Amino acid sequence: MPSLLTTAVGSYPKPDYLMQARNQYRKKRIARAELLALERRATREWIEFQERIGLDILVDGEQYRGDMVEYFAEEWRGFAISGLVRAYGNRYYHKPIIVGKVARQGPTTVEWWKYAQSLTRKPVKGMLTGPYTLMDWSFDEYYGSRRQAALALARVVHAEARDLERAGAEYIQIDEPAASVVPEEIDLLIEAMATVTRGLRAKTISHICYGDFTTIYPRILDLPVAQLDLEMANSNYDLLDVFKSHPYTKEIGLGVVDVHNHRLESIEQVKTGIKHALQQIPPEKIFVDPDCGLKTRTVAEAQAKLELVVRATREVKRELGLR
Amino acid sequence: MITTVVGNYPKIPNLPRPAKLRQAIANVDAGKITRDDLQRTEDQVTREVIAEQIAAGLDLITDGKIRWEDEQTYLARRLRGLRLGGLIRYFDSNTYYRQPICEGAVEWVEPITVCDYEFAAQYSSKPVKPALPGPYTLARLSENKYYPTLDEFVFALADALNQEARALERADATFIQFDEPAILRRKQDWALFEQAMRRLTNGLTAKLALYTYFGDVGGIYPQILALPFAVIGLDFVQGARNWDVIKTAPFTKELGFGIVDARNTKLETRAELRRAFAQIARVVPLDRVYVNPTCGLEFLPRERAQEKLAQLVAAAREFGTRKPRTSAQAEKRNTQHATRKTRKAAKEHERSRK
Repeated sequence: MPSLLTTAVGSYPKPDYLMQARNQYRKKRIARAELLALERRATREWIEFQERIGLDILVDGEQYRGDMVEYFAEEWRGFAISGLVRAYGNRYYHKPIIVGKVARQGPTTVEWWKYAQSLTRKPVKGMLTGPYTLMDWSFDEYYGSRRQAALALARVVHAEARDLERAGAEYIQIDEPAASVVPEEIDLLIEAMATVTRGLRAKTISHICYGDFTTIYPRILDLPVAQLDLEMANSNYDLLDVFKSHPYTKEIGLGVVDVHNHRLESIEQVKTGIKHALQQIPPEKIFVDPDCGLKTRTVAEAQAKLELVVRATREVKRELGLR
Repeated sequence: MITTVVGNYPKIPNLPRPAKLRQAIANVDAGKITRDDLQRTEDQVTREVIAEQIAAGLDLITDGKIRWEDEQTYLARRLRGLRLGGLIRYFDSNTYYRQPICEGAVEWVEPITVCDYEFAAQYSSKPVKPALPGPYTLARLSENKYYPTLDEFVFALADALNQEARALERADATFIQFDEPAILRRKQDWALFEQAMRRLTNGLTAKLALYTYFGDVGGIYPQILALPFAVIGLDFVQGARNWDVIKTAPFTKELGFGIVDARNTKLETRAELRRAFAQIARVVPLDRVYVNPTCGLEFLPRERAQEKLAQLVAAAREFGTRKPRTSAQAEKRNTQHATRKTRKAAKEHERSRK
């Protein structure tokens, strides 16, 4: 059994040339094909980078996505995009609106996954947003109930996961950052995820940024995925204390670098974090990665954080004689 | 029925209307314009959203809280003893606020919202109500590193907010609202809440409203009616259970009837709203009803917020409500008052913001 495999959560920052191209495209100054070529270039560069530093399980970096909910809302039927609403401070975003029955117009992310996988022999994760989060982060003018909306979305996400698996994806990640927002709805979260992962053979993962993880633990262990990917670094690993109240039973994606901070952690900090987790979880069940998607960092910062994840993991393995 | 809003109003419109405030804040951050320039934009946008609320036909409006970064920060940054921490989620929404951190004795130093109120009153032909966060919610959304107990922290905030309300009264505010959504999440704190509300309202003479939202008052009803407020605001969408709860005991206060969903873009039909009015009329006489969205409108895109208000007013008019005297009187008073004080207030406003 391999132990302490390294990976990433999903998004990487877009290089300047791509940011500019996206801007130009929005202003209709460049064609779709031109933007696409640059998205592919950026994807290729990120795959090359991940290979170079020796990451074990790669991601495509989501160079063709804006926001994790808006992307699917734009690609799928049944969604409209609202006017701007404020998230905080001076930050605004277009919140999707469910206006009809949600459906794919054919595979959404599969071509991108195939492209990324064609560039490497390492496994590339399929990356999807979970139905509960898609529902919670959209307005609903059609289904009229949170459950109906989440389950309808779950069927669509399931179809997409199926297609990724058929294309050869060994790992499929279905992110649910909204999981702990309404703890009373955890049954719905679990029910919707069961619809997504039913019958899948690929290894399933769900990334959860815990608002208040204690409100959904240990019940969250019933989420029908093999692995939960959790932020650890930005809360000083205090989740590990939460696990003492009830043993953690799944594989864990162990976030060891804070993605909201420019500052690079010391290698000792990261190694200590990994060793801390090893006291409770066996090494073959730990996947070391950053806390969350890295898209809010600069390219240089993101690369430094990823390299650190790999270096620290290697040193821990060497020190403990792990394979 | 008196048509009103709960508090905040979307700060920026969508194209083709320019997002002036967003641009101005970005320009301040980039050092391209001064704080004074930003304040002029805030004034301008405040006047715009006042005009929009009046155009929608509302009887009682707010200043839209255009200057408020979020429901906590605007007060917290001006109260002694609090500083601002990191961003955290606001209830179960997908919005975030800076968490106030209490590191010393809370003290009200000077009026915080008074010049905003005066500014709004001066530019509004309709009565304006200041809407402040209540002490319990403010405490619950903050981190307390100073007071040994939550009770002491809540009471200190209650006293500070009492001072702010007194200052608003001195500026002739005749209707003051406090928002306490947090109590619906922790009804076990009722005893503390009750005491805090008494301290908060101690000695106040304005008409007072207590608004709750994001849930129902089951478990604290009818006790909530005994609190020293004239108006109790309830959310009948996220707190749909309120329909049953208010039937368990006579609703003896005026009701803030939150029926237009301020958290979803789906536009209520006028027929739906009329049915809701008919239903509520069986529980509370309509001359004791303020009808409004469920909470502040900032969760919605600006245009949809406008449409929802227009729909609310149209439905209320269709329902054939007479305009209660109290509202008309307040309006008259406010208008006269505004005209009289216009010049003075404008000058003071300028000064106080420098």
